[in-house]
Amino acid sequence: MSFTITCPICGKRNIYEFRFGGEDRGPRPFKNEANPEEWYDYIHARSNPAGVQPEMWFHRDGCGVWFAIERDTTTNQEVEKEGGDS
Amino acid sequence: MSRLPASPTQRVDRSKVLSFSYMSEPRQGFEGDTLATALYDQGIRIFSRSFKYHRPRGLYSLDDESSTTMMTVNGIPNVRAESTPLREGMKVMAQNVKGSPEFDLMAVGEKFDGFMPPGFYYKRFHKPYKYWPFFQERLRAAAGLGKILPEFPEDYYENVYFNAEVCVVGGGPAGMAAALAAAESGLRVILLEARPYLGGFYDWRTVKEDGTQPLYERGRELAAQVAKTENIRVFTSTALTGFYANNHLTARQKGLPNDRFVERYMEVRAGSVVVAAGCLERPLIFEHNERPGIMQANTAVRLIRTYGILPGQRAVLAVGHDLGLEAALDLASAGMDVAAVADSRPQGQDESLVAALEKKGITFLPGFTASQANGVKRVSGVALTDLQSGSAKSFNCDILVAMAGLSPNNAPLAMAKAKIVYDPETGYFLAREMPPHVHTAGRIMGLCGGAEIEASGRLAGLRAASESGPDLTVALKEAQEALAGLPGPKGGSTILRSPGPGKKAFVCFDEDVAVKDIGYAAEEGFNTIELSKRYVTAGMGPSQSFLPGVNFPQLLADYLGKEPGSIPATTTRSPFYPTLMATFAGPNHHMSKKTPLDASQKDLGGIFRVVGVWERARYFSPDLDTTEEVKAVRTGVGMIDVSTLGKFRLHGPDSLKALQRMYVSDMSKMVKGKLKYSAMCNEDGCVIDDGVATKIGENDYYFTTATARAGQTVEWFRYHTRHDGWDFNLVNMTDGLGAINVAGPKSREVLAKVTDEDVSNEAVPYMAYREIKLKGGIPARLLRVGFVGEMGFELHVPSSWTQAAWDLLWEAGQEFGVKPFALEAQACLRLDKGHAIIGTDTELRLNLHDLGLSFLLKQDKDIDYTVGVAALNLAEKQEGRLKAVGFKTDVMKALPMDGSIIVNDGEIRGHVTSCRLSYALQRTVGLAFVEDKYSAEGSKLEIWHEGLESKEPLIATVTKPPFYDPKGDRLKM
Repeated sequence: MSFTITCPICGKRNIYEFRFGGEDRGPRPFKNEANPEEWYDYIHARSNPAGVQPEMWFHRDGCGVWFAIERDTTTNQEVEKEGGDS
Repeated sequence: MSRLPASPTQRVDRSKVLSFSYMSEPRQGFEGDTLATALYDQGIRIFSRSFKYHRPRGLYSLDDESSTTMMTVNGIPNVRAESTPLREGMKVMAQNVKGSPEFDLMAVGEKFDGFMPPGFYYKRFHKPYKYWPFFQERLRAAAGLGKILPEFPEDYYENVYFNAEVCVVGGGPAGMAAALAAAESGLRVILLEARPYLGGFYDWRTVKEDGTQPLYERGRELAAQVAKTENIRVFTSTALTGFYANNHLTARQKGLPNDRFVERYMEVRAGSVVVAAGCLERPLIFEHNERPGIMQANTAVRLIRTYGILPGQRAVLAVGHDLGLEAALDLASAGMDVAAVADSRPQGQDESLVAALEKKGITFLPGFTASQANGVKRVSGVALTDLQSGSAKSFNCDILVAMAGLSPNNAPLAMAKAKIVYDPETGYFLAREMPPHVHTAGRIMGLCGGAEIEASGRLAGLRAASESGPDLTVALKEAQEALAGLPGPKGGSTILRSPGPGKKAFVCFDEDVAVKDIGYAAEEGFNTIELSKRYVTAGMGPSQSFLPGVNFPQLLADYLGKEPGSIPATTTRSPFYPTLMATFAGPNHHMSKKTPLDASQKDLGGIFRVVGVWERARYFSPDLDTTEEVKAVRTGVGMIDVSTLGKFRLHGPDSLKALQRMYVSDMSKMVKGKLKYSAMCNEDGCVIDDGVATKIGENDYYFTTATARAGQTVEWFRYHTRHDGWDFNLVNMTDGLGAINVAGPKSREVLAKVTDEDVSNEAVPYMAYREIKLKGGIPARLLRVGFVGEMGFELHVPSSWTQAAWDLLWEAGQEFGVKPFALEAQACLRLDKGHAIIGTDTELRLNLHDLGLSFLLKQDKDIDYTVGVAALNLAEKQEGRLKAVGFKTDVMKALPMDGSIIVNDGEIRGHVTSCRLSYALQRTVGLAFVEDKYSAEGSKLEIWHEGLESKEPLIATVTKPPFYDPKGDRLKM
C-alpha cells in the first residue's frame, strides 16, 4: 500500500495514518426492519470495482474524522476534488 | 598497512585507525575504509567461497553488486564487506568454509561439477525414496551460506519517514545537478546516494574533460554547493531498495562509525523523482572469470584513488569501454606494470586514450578479449583472444581488470514501471516511457561526458520542480537548449564473451551459474528467460540481478540464436539491496501502556502480563494461586486496579441520539445518579461491548466500555453517525482517569473512612452514580457496580490522583484485612455470577439473543434505527444458532481448560469459553457456547480437552447462571 489520502481536515497524508472503511454505500436504506436481501446487500455486499470507487476512510492517527474520497482501485490514485488542497 | 602516498582523491582518514579482527586475528584499517578495502589492504585476497563449488572468490566489486564479500560480522551472517563501513571493534569471520577461505575442505565439491548440471539435486536424490532422508540431511548441512545466531546482538536500528517535493536518486554529477536545479525554487529536495560521499564516478577520476579542472575536483565543487543548499537533505550510504507506485521510495542507510544506528530503513514520499542511478559495469564472461584478482575497472581504480591501496603488481585489462582504457592509464600511473590492454572493440575508441596508452608503452590489443584466466587461488595469467582470428596471446598478471562494458542501472526505473527498451545504437537497455513525475538524468540515459551528464541533471531537476507548482518555463527552455547542443547517448562494446564452451565462465557468481548451464536448461525446455532463471537460478542469489543483469538474457538470446536485446531482463524486485530484518523491525517496539497505579501494583507483588495495549497485574501470588485474593473479596475486602476500563464523556445537543444509535437499550430513560447497564452490537447484531452509562447533566453523559473496546469506541460512534451531521462530542477519558474497584462485604466501611460524604446503602444504593470528594479533596466518580458479585464501589479518579486515592483506601482497609486482587481473581469471581466477558466468552457468531441478553433490547425508541437491531430482528426466530450457557461439572473439581471442545453425539457441538474452580461454591463452574439443542438447562455436555487422563469425557450440566448469590442480595447490601 503506497499512496496518500487527503483528509478534509489535515490535508494530504501518508496512507499509514488511516483506516480503510470500505466502499461508501451512503446512508442506510432501511431502519430497524429490513428484508434479508436488502440487509445483506447494504451490510455485506461490495461492488469491488476495477476503477473509481467512492470509499470511507478514518483518520485514525490524526484528527479522527470519517470522510469519503474517490479512489481508482487500479492505480491507488485518489481522484482529486475540484478546489481541493493537495 | 602499506598504502600509497596521500592524494586529494582519497577518502580514508589516516589519522583515525580502527581496530577489528578477522578470523580472530587483530587487524587495522582507517576511518573511511569499507570492511572489504581494509581487508584487501591487509593482504586478504580470498574473501569467500562460492555457494555450490566452494570456489575461491575475491574482491570483484565495491558497490554491493556481488555476494563474494559476504562475511559474518559481529555475529550477523551475510554482511557484505564491500558495502559495510569499517567500524571499531568489528569481529569478522569468513563463512561458507570448512577451515578458512584459503584452505576450504568443501572445495573438493568442484571436482564433481561435471555431474552437477542444473536441477542436479532434484533429479538425483529422490529415487529410490528410502535414501532421501539420508541425502536430505547431508544436503541441508552443505546448503546455505551464513549461520544465524540465536542470540542476536543488541544494536540500534531505526526507521525514518520523509516527504519531499523532489527526491533525487543518485548523488553523482547528474544527481547533484538535478538536486541543485530543483532546490532553486525553494522546494524540499532529498538526495539519496549509496556511497558514503557524493560525487559518483567523478570522485576518483583525474581526467580534465574541460581541459582545466580534474573531474574529482568538479565533483567536490558540486558536493560543496549541495551541502550549503539548505533545502537539500542529503543522505549518503543510502541505497534505494524499492520504487513503489506514486513515488513512494524505500531505502537502506548504513551507519558510519559516528552514526548511532547500524542500519536504518527509510521511506520517502516524493512529488517527483529524478533517477540518476548511473551505470553498472557489465561483467565480461570468460573461463574462470571470477578468480581472486579479477575485478571491475572501477574497483581497481578506486582501490588506488579512493583508498590508497595498490591492487597488485602486474595488471592485464580486458575491457569494452573507454572507461576501461582510462583505468589502464590510472593503474600505470599509480605504479602498476600494465602488461596488456585488450579492448573487444576493433575500433571506435577515444583516440586520445589510445595515444596515451601508446605513449606509456602499454601493449594495446583492439579486437581482443579475455578467453581464460589461469591460477586458482589467485589469478596468475590470462589468455587474450583475437575475436576475429581466434588466435590467443598469454600474459602473466596478478590483477585482471575485466569489463565487457556498461549497463544502465535500471532497477529503480523497472520497478517504477518505466518502459525499458533495447537500443541497438548503444547496446543499452534504456528507459523510454516514464511514469508520471519520474525523470532520468545522467549515465542511466546512456550519456558519457560530464557536460551532458550535468546538463541532463539540471533539466531533470527543473522538470521535477516544475511539477510542484513553480513556473520554470524560461529556465526549462534554456536547460533544454543547453542539453540539445551536447553529445547524446554513446555506448561501449556489445561483445560479452569470446566463443567457447563456457564451462567455467560464470554469469552468476552467487549461484555458480556458468554459460553452459543456460544451454543445458534450454535443451531441457527452459528456454524462456523467467523459466531459465528459476531453473539455473541465475540472479536468484543474495545479490539478485546486479551481475547477471543484462548478460543472462543476452546469453540465452545467443544460445537461441535471437537478436541481442530481444530478451528483456528479468523482473526487478525490491529490496534491490539486502536490508536486515532488524532494520525493518526498527527500534524497540514494546509500547504497552501502564496504568497510574503501575508502580504500587508492582510493589504489592503484582505479576504482570501484557493484555492488549496494557500491562496489567494478573496475579498477586508467586505461585499463581488466586485463592487468597478471591477469599478477601468474598469475605472481607479487596482492591483492584481497573484503570484500563474504557471511560467516555459524551456531550452536545445530539448526544442522546448517538447513544440511542449505538446502545440496544432505551438510553432516554437514564436519570442522573443512576447507572444503566447496556450493550452495543455490530450490524450483525453481535455483541461487541457492554458497560454502564449514566446521565451527568443536560445533554451530558458518561459511560464505560470494556478495556479492549476503549481504543475503537470513538471511531465506532463516528462511523455509525457519519451521514447524520449530529452535533455531539465524544471524549475518550480512559487515560485521563484511573479507576479502582473496592469490593467485598467490608468495602463500604473502607470507603466511609476516606470520604466525609454519606456512602450508606440508602445514599448510594446498588447501581448508583455519584460525584464525590475523597479526603484531601480528591475528586472521584463513584459507581456502585457488582461485576465480581459482592458489594463494590468503583472510583474513577483523575490519573494524577489515582495513586493518592489508592493509598487512602489501602490504609483505610488495613483494619479490615484488605488485599489487592488482580485479573485472574477477578475472572474467577465474575464467573460465579456467570458474567460473560465480551470477546472472551462471546465471539462474533453470537448475537444478543444467543447470549440471553434480549431483555436489553428496546425497539421503539425515539431514533430511526439502532446498529444491529435490523439483524437481531431477522435472526430472532432463526433456528439452530449457537447459545451461550453456564455449566457446572459433575465431578466437583474437574477443570477443563478454556477452549476445550464439547462433543455430543459424535460431533463437536461447541466449546468451553471460561472455566474456573469457584472458591465460594467449591466446585467447577464455567461458560460455554453450544448448539441450541444442547443449551437447555440440565443438558449434559461432554467436554474433552488435551491432557485429559481418562478416555472418558468430563461431564458438565448446563446450569443457568448466576451460580452464586442468584438473587443478587450481596450486591445490594
